[in-house]
Amino acid sequence: MKTIGVTIQVNNEENVLQVKPYETLLETLRERLNLTGAKEACSMGSCGACTVVVNGTPVRSCLVLTAEVDGADITTVEGLQKDGKLHPLQEAFMEKGAVQCGFCTSGMIMTAKALLDRNKKPTKKEIVKTISSNICRCTGYKKIVEAVEDAGRKKG
Amino acid sequence: MILPKFTYKKVKSVAEAVAAYNSHKGKAKYLAGGTDLVPLMKLRLSAPAAVIDLKDIAELKAVSRKNDGWLAVGANVTLFALKNDPVVKEYFPALYESLDATSCETLQMRGTIGGNILQDTRCLLYNQSLEWRKARGFCYKMGGKVCNVVPNAKACFSNYCSDNAPSLITLSAQLRFVGPKGERTAGLEDIFSGDGRRPLTVEPGEILTEILIPLKKTKGAYEKLRVRDSIDYPLAGVAVSAKGGTVRACVCGIGLKPRVYDLSDMNEATVKEAADRMYGDAKPVSNTVLSAMYRKKMAGVLFKKAVKRVLQEG
Repeated sequence: MKTIGVTIQVNNEENVLQVKPYETLLETLRERLNLTGAKEACSMGSCGACTVVVNGTPVRSCLVLTAEVDGADITTVEGLQKDGKLHPLQEAFMEKGAVQCGFCTSGMIMTAKALLDRNKKPTKKEIVKTISSNICRCTGYKKIVEAVEDAGRKKG
Repeated sequence: MILPKFTYKKVKSVAEAVAAYNSHKGKAKYLAGGTDLVPLMKLRLSAPAAVIDLKDIAELKAVSRKNDGWLAVGANVTLFALKNDPVVKEYFPALYESLDATSCETLQMRGTIGGNILQDTRCLLYNQSLEWRKARGFCYKMGGKVCNVVPNAKACFSNYCSDNAPSLITLSAQLRFVGPKGERTAGLEDIFSGDGRRPLTVEPGEILTEILIPLKKTKGAYEKLRVRDSIDYPLAGVAVSAKGGTVRACVCGIGLKPRVYDLSDMNEATVKEAADRMYGDAKPVSNTVLSAMYRKKMAGVLFKKAVKRVLQEG
């Protein structure tokens, strides 16, 4: 089948790719670009483990075709650190013990990042609402919410 | 899960989309947000030869007030954008609440109002992978000759699970379609066929372009039954909107089409009578994670709860 040419900006790096028309963004990120931070869990859009930020909006990369995001600016969890320094969210997740098995963590962080980018000082209620997009089977969410609150305070 | 093979085409106008559909002889699917279509394709419940992406059609993304008293919502407006539209919050509280109750924030930012309305009906024994369904045997909705939920049933009992269609029905919304045969406008409550194999009376190749809502201030509420507070589809949902002296309620999530109830007033007697009718009309079967009897009872309960909030009694 004919491939499609796309240009995507991933973590400030331009990638010119030839992708299959039925290839999801998650497959492109993990298998072509070796960015394995975004995870495949349910693969049906229910869990949020594959969340990445596309043009400032969090999206489930398992539900998006790479062909759809031609020209987009994509940030994955690998792109959060700057010059070897971790993003405040990453620091807060470690500090507050918001990581257990770690499978949901990159999705959680990317969802939270998009929230903090559009709302500098989210209330606890807003954080809970946003984070409820993602499923975590270990932590019980309390520490994740605390970590996002903490990062919001530090960042703001 | 890997997607089946298809070709992909991005279009810039509705006319271009219809032309692309025609060139594939009907074996194409329109893609907007993809939050509904992509999982269906992954489960092989939909296997189009081509996917036509409507996201770049500018006219489908606008929300505009029309001079003759309508709010025109483009079908590709995301649920999140529509929820945050000040007109929706002020004029249509039932719609605001149902948008807010739909799935989760991340999916609201991707999913569109048009896609939410035109979603297929769902069933615990239908929305499963091909291997799972093959092992069980195909039901009516998959082209088979049985219902896997109700033994000896003569028809399909899948549920229509849009949160926003019922609230839009209480607001008397109209839909505009453009297709290979031209344009048409239909009342939202009239697009349901009652047949699980093809639950919507949308013609092949038709594109939902606009949702038209009469721009009159209403009071309203939406109540939804679900297991988790996020992501879940409604296991039963009731929308209520009141304007002037008239009240309209709509029950969804139970059966193939939303059921509409027009009330002249909201007093104790009329509310009780309508709640009893909802209980009687609801005929759920065991095809969701909650029992059929519980969902049947909840239809009336959710309605009473919604009415209480509309009347600001708590």
